[in-house]
Amino acid sequence: MERRQFIKILGMSSLFLHGWLRNLFAAQGPVVAVGQGTDHAGITRKTLAALGGMQRFVKPGQTVVVKPNIGWDRTPEYAATTNPLVVKAVVEECLKAGAKRVKVFDRTCNDPRRCYASSGIESALKGMKNVEVKHLEEERFQKVALNGKVLKEWELYGEALSADVYINLPVAKHHGLSRLTLGMKNVMGIMGGNRGSIHKNIDQALADINASFRPHLTLIDATRILTAHGPQGGNLADVKVLNQVIASTDIVAADAYATTLFGLKPADIAVTRTAYQRGLGEMNLDKMRIVRV
Amino acid sequence: MKKVTSARISQLLFLALFLVLFLMTEYRGSDRIVAAVNGFFRADPLTASSTMLAVKAYLPLLLPGLIMLVAALFLGRFFCGWICPLGTILDLVTGRIRKVGALRALAGRAKYWLLLPLLAASLLGVNLAGLLDPIALLLRALTFFFHPLFGDTVRGGWRSLYGLVWERRDLLDPGYRLIRDYLLPFRETLYPLAFLSALLFMLILFLERYETRAWCRRLCPLGTLLGLVSRLGPLRRTPAKLCADCRACREHCPTSFDQDLLQTEECILCMECALHCPSRRVRFRFAGPRAQAGPVMERRVFLGGLLGGVVLARGFRFREPAAQAKLLRPPGVRDEEEFLKKCVRCGECMKVCLRSALYPALFQAGAEGLYTPLVVPRLGYCEYNCTLCGQVCPTGAIPDLATQEKQRQVIGKAVFDKNHCLPFAKRIDCIVCEEHCPIPGKAIRSERVELTGFDGAKRTVQQPYVVDELCNGCGICENVCPLEGKAAIEVFRVKDRTPLKPSSPAAPPPQDPYTDPYAGNS
Repeated sequence: MERRQFIKILGMSSLFLHGWLRNLFAAQGPVVAVGQGTDHAGITRKTLAALGGMQRFVKPGQTVVVKPNIGWDRTPEYAATTNPLVVKAVVEECLKAGAKRVKVFDRTCNDPRRCYASSGIESALKGMKNVEVKHLEEERFQKVALNGKVLKEWELYGEALSADVYINLPVAKHHGLSRLTLGMKNVMGIMGGNRGSIHKNIDQALADINASFRPHLTLIDATRILTAHGPQGGNLADVKVLNQVIASTDIVAADAYATTLFGLKPADIAVTRTAYQRGLGEMNLDKMRIVRV
Repeated sequence: MKKVTSARISQLLFLALFLVLFLMTEYRGSDRIVAAVNGFFRADPLTASSTMLAVKAYLPLLLPGLIMLVAALFLGRFFCGWICPLGTILDLVTGRIRKVGALRALAGRAKYWLLLPLLAASLLGVNLAGLLDPIALLLRALTFFFHPLFGDTVRGGWRSLYGLVWERRDLLDPGYRLIRDYLLPFRETLYPLAFLSALLFMLILFLERYETRAWCRRLCPLGTLLGLVSRLGPLRRTPAKLCADCRACREHCPTSFDQDLLQTEECILCMECALHCPSRRVRFRFAGPRAQAGPVMERRVFLGGLLGGVVLARGFRFREPAAQAKLLRPPGVRDEEEFLKKCVRCGECMKVCLRSALYPALFQAGAEGLYTPLVVPRLGYCEYNCTLCGQVCPTGAIPDLATQEKQRQVIGKAVFDKNHCLPFAKRIDCIVCEEHCPIPGKAIRSERVELTGFDGAKRTVQQPYVVDELCNGCGICENVCPLEGKAAIEVFRVKDRTPLKPSSPAAPPPQDPYTDPYAGNS
């Protein structure tokens, strides 16, 4: 066989065996662990175990930032903020893995004092040793060069940047513009400045930030999801109880899977699609290894 | 240092109480705060009488003030000598201020010329007493100036410490947290009338240059009111005059012995004369009605006072129409006239406002509305689940409502400015306002529109609109609008502030099919 012919056959075959080359050389797809059950702390632990346990991420003596969604002044049943039981289970696992200090915070949209109190997260973590539930302090924001497509630089929260381990802990819910807010949008909680201004190009802007700032682990709380009037809802008729949590080291994969819980396809969400196109993670469900526990 | 007397101890305790209540006028994790935080105002006889004169009805909230007035009938101006925190502050500083002798302009009837017009204006429906009420003066000076200044200084120092030692600052964090949680204002707010509040307070201190308690005896309308009442009461000091052989009272008395005769209206019952009387002659005791002590209410003063009230109440009525459009009152205030009758301009609501949405009016509400609270949404918004302003209002000018009822109160209505709003003016996505709208069914919604962008590309853009029947004018949309300076959505005042209908969770309002995440789902 001549070299030219070989290349031709190779080229032609790639047309018919779509993606086989890529699959052959690609590493195995990301693992997405999905836990289900009414014991929300228990399923959180099991889901983490399915990913290899928290000790895979947290080494003894490290400082961990756990970033739930505490953005709105709503109580947990409204599914606008992360379930405090899930947050507590994650924090406990971090401590069990030997974390020196666990910091929990979010940049809130409503009054931070009210958000922290109403979300139940502050009281759930109250009195835990080496755990700090903190309000953000303006001076800790640092300009970070993102060199993205739409964001050249932005102020990010110093304690998130300096953490040894960053765990992203969003709640899955509806959003009027991006349709859903999941893992990648949760990163807005460490953004300073005029966050609203990124809405004009939200999918590219979020991809820019997520390309530069990568959580070590994303765990999406879908114990309750908000299906309409997000992101803060306020109407129990919009809340659906699913009793699920989703965890992955691949933020795009976690988001993609969570999207299906709303009856949507991952590609329907521009934020997910853009991130996938920019190589930030996997959004094709059939290329993930989904482990149910 | 002053000698320890019962009056002195009482003064210091009440000053401490005043400061503690002041610091407690802040959200600390509970939806309700103790009712006592406005206690000083509710027990303030001037507030009580001016407000009740204005609304011409009995207000149960202000019963303590009436009780205090009755107490003054029997016990004289003990409020001034034993309780009033402003008086205590004057007592604390006056020793350090060199005296140059009384001001002639303040002697005589000046205080009646202040009190009477204030009460007469109340009678005509404009309750201005709070402008010169000593408790209100002090609280406003603290709220608008000293507390923010203190917070700004401490927080600024803490911030710059971060610039110096970075993360090592965390070692001091527990200590700072204590200060932050219990002493500092949660956020530093700059208030429009901070300078005037501080200036008035400083002026009162400055008056100490002329004589001790110059403000209390020569101007304070609350003290004057108490003095008038105490004239009618049975409490007597004997001897009423300076004794020929001693005259030591003149040295000991801080207020009322600048003449030979004790000035009952100015006596603050500090008891210094009784305590220090070398021959133990001085007694305070109850006796029958007093012999004539000279006229107070000359007809000239009385009529002039009434006329002054008319001028105050009617002469400053002018209001600029453009300022009216943004004259947004706190939630639950439905009628401007009634509000002006009840509001004592104490500043409690502005102190407690969670999101710094309330500011004292400069001239937006006319000169008569000076210091009344206004919602300024571009600076802060009314937090959906918060009811604190109604809780601390001492007169019920802002009603104390349950959370769900407060959420339905209409402050105003939001209106888009399509010349500014990004999806209209620039044809790009935004809807930050819709995102933040706290109404469960969303008072701001958006429709997807196919447009040709100004770059020539076809695109779909979400254009927002307001659902008037759902909007309560909380102002969060105007607050978070990402445009610089002027927001593209603004809350405007509306006359009809009928509360919104209760939302029925059973029937969510119809939705744009695209935004329904279940569209296409079986």
